[in-house]
Amino acid sequence: MRLTTGLHGYVVLRFSGGLEIRLHNLICAVILMMVAVVGGVALLTTGSTDSTFSDLVGLFDGDAVSGDVAFAIADVRLPRILMGFMAGWCVALTGAMLQSLAQNPLADPGQLGLSQGSLVVIMLVLVLFPGLPLIFTPLAGFAGGLAVAVLLMVLVGRHHSGGLGILLMGIAVETTLSSVTSILILYAPPEQSHAISSWLAGSLFHSDWSAVGSFATWFVISIPAILVIGRKLRSLDLGDHMALALGEAVHITKPAILIVAVLLTAAATAAVGPLVFLGVMAPHLAGFISPAKGRARLFLAAMTGGVLVVAADGLTRLGSDQVALPTGLAIMMIGAPIFIISLRLRTISQARTG
Amino acid sequence: MHKLFLTLALIVASGLAHAQSHDVQDDRGRTVPMPDTPERIVVLQEPLLGIPILELGLDIVGSYGRNDDGSSMLRVDFIKTVLGKDGADLGISGIGPLGNIDLEKLSALKPDLIIGGESDADKADILSSVAPVYLKNIRTPDITGFSTQQKLADLLGVSDRFDALMADYKSQLDDVRAKLPEAPNGKTYLAVIIYDQINVVSNMSGVIQAIEDLGYRRADLQGSGKASGYGQGFAVPLSSEQFARLNPDILIIMNSYVSADRGPAAIRDRLNAIVPGWDRFLRPHKEGRVLYLDSVAVTTPTVASARHTLDAIEAWATSK
Repeated sequence: MRLTTGLHGYVVLRFSGGLEIRLHNLICAVILMMVAVVGGVALLTTGSTDSTFSDLVGLFDGDAVSGDVAFAIADVRLPRILMGFMAGWCVALTGAMLQSLAQNPLADPGQLGLSQGSLVVIMLVLVLFPGLPLIFTPLAGFAGGLAVAVLLMVLVGRHHSGGLGILLMGIAVETTLSSVTSILILYAPPEQSHAISSWLAGSLFHSDWSAVGSFATWFVISIPAILVIGRKLRSLDLGDHMALALGEAVHITKPAILIVAVLLTAAATAAVGPLVFLGVMAPHLAGFISPAKGRARLFLAAMTGGVLVVAADGLTRLGSDQVALPTGLAIMMIGAPIFIISLRLRTISQARTG
Repeated sequence: MHKLFLTLALIVASGLAHAQSHDVQDDRGRTVPMPDTPERIVVLQEPLLGIPILELGLDIVGSYGRNDDGSSMLRVDFIKTVLGKDGADLGISGIGPLGNIDLEKLSALKPDLIIGGESDADKADILSSVAPVYLKNIRTPDITGFSTQQKLADLLGVSDRFDALMADYKSQLDDVRAKLPEAPNGKTYLAVIIYDQINVVSNMSGVIQAIEDLGYRRADLQGSGKASGYGQGFAVPLSSEQFARLNPDILIIMNSYVSADRGPAAIRDRLNAIVPGWDRFLRPHKEGRVLYLDSVAVTTPTVASARHTLDAIEAWATSK
C-alpha cells in the first residue's frame, strides 16, 4: 500500500492488488462514519428518559441499568437509529445507481415512479388483504417497483433509455400513480387510510428489533451490490457506446442494476415509507463533499443518506412536544438547506473556474 | 436452601402475576392478556375512550393529546367540558405530540393496559412492547349512543357503576320529558355539526342517545342512503341546499370541536358564511325549534354528554 498521485491528479492510496482509493474519498468516508457513530451515540443517550453515556456503556457491559433506561436505549432508540441508517443508506444508494443508469442527475426512485409503484401495490395489498403477514409487504413493493421499471423500459424503448426521455416518462408514470394513491387513501376504510397517511409521510415509529432484523438482509445485500455495481457504473457513466466499447454487456448490466435498485427501494419503502427526494439529495451532497466515481461514489452517497435519516429521526424524536414531525419532513428540513447551499457553492465555484 | 426458597417464591409470584390477568379478544380479533383490575390505563383516544372511562370512576394515567402537566394540547379540553374536572388534578400525563407517540414517555407511565381505537391497529404491535393493547371499535357503524361506554364498563369490570349512571340518567330523562311542550312520540329530530361544511351527525354520541331516549326519531333525509355519502362514522357531509330545506321538529346545530367559540352566536356566524340567508328560510329557526349545543360537551359516547343534552333541552322547553 502506498500513497501516490494518479493520472487524474488526485492523491490516491494504491494497494498491492491494484485497488486504488482517492485519498479525499477515504477521508470523507472516515468522517461520515465518525459522524454516524458519534451522532448515533449522542442520540442513544438523548430522549424523554434521562440517560447518560455511562448508562449506555453499562447496558452494553451487562451492568445493572434501570428498566426505563434499558427500554429507552435498547428497545426504542437503537432500533430506530439502525433502521434509519439502513433505510437512508438504501434509498440514497438507489438514487446514485439510477442517476448513473439514466445518465441524469435528477433520477431517483421517487422521480422515476419506482417508489410510487411499490407504494401503490403495498397499499392495494394492505387494503384488499388486511390480514396478510407483514413479511409479504416488501415482496408486494418489489412487484410494484419492478412493474414500473418494466413499463418504463417498454415505454421509453431500449435506445432512448438514457437522459431526459426516461426521466420525463418516469415523472408521468409517477404522477399517474400518485393519483391512484390519493384515490386509495380517499376510499380505504378510515382506520386504514389513517395508517397509510402516516406511513406515506415517512416514519420510524414501527422500527423494532424484528423490523431491523428483516431489513438487515437488504442492507447486507447492498454491500456486495456496491462492490459489483460500482465497477460497472464507471463504464456506464461514460455512455452506452463507450461502455460497450469497454466490453460492458450493457443489455444485461442495465436491467440487472435496475432490479437491484427496485429491490432496495421496495424494501426501504415497505419499512419506513417513501423518503421523498433523499435519492436525489444524498448523492449530490456526497458528490459536493467529495467528488467520486464508481464504488466510492455509491458508498459515500449511501453513507450520506444514512446519516441524513438518522439526523432527521433525532429531530423527530427530540423536536417539539407539541408538533409531530414526520421523518420524511424532517429529512427535508435538514437536507434541503444543506442541498441548496451546496448547489449554490458549486455554481459559484464553477463560475470562478469557468 | 435459601436459593431454593427464593426460586420457589419467584415461581409462586410469577404464577400469581399470571393469575391476575385473563385473555380476552378485542374488537379486532386479537387476543389480549387483560389485567383483572387495571389500575394504570392509557387511552389513545380521549373523547371516545378516555371520557367514558373517567366517568365510570376509573383512573387514567396517560392520554394521547395531553401535555406532560395534564393540560390539553388542543384548544378544547374534553375532560373539563364534559366532566368538569381538570386533567392535571386527575394525574393524567401526555404520551407525546399528536401523530408521534413517544414510547419512552408511555413506558415511563408504567401502564398495565393501553386502550385504542380502530385507527390504532397499525401501532398495536409496537405498543404491546410496553403493555397489553386492547383495540376497541369506536367508529364502526354498529357503535351507537352509550354502547362504547357500556362495553368498556363490562370490559373493565365496573358494570355496576354504569348501571348507577344509567339510573340517574333515566330519572333525569323522565323529568325532562314531562317538561317538553309537546309529547315527543312521533316527532322528529336531526343534528348537524359544522366543520368547513355542514355535516349530519350519526347516532354514535350522547346527544343522539338522549334525544332518541326522549322519544324523538331521526328525520328522513331525502336522497340519503349507504351509497350517497363517502363519509362514515360520526358525521357525513350535507349540501347547503339540503340544509336549507331541513324541517325536523327539533334541529340541533353544533359548531366544530376545534372552534374557540361554540356558542349560538358563533354558530349563526358560521352558518351565515356557508348558507347566506339561512335564517330567512330555515323553518325550524323561524319557528323556534333549533337547539344550539356545545359539540364538545354533548358528542362523547357518555352518559355525561347525554345529560348535558337533557339540560339544554330542559332549558329550551322551559323557555317556550
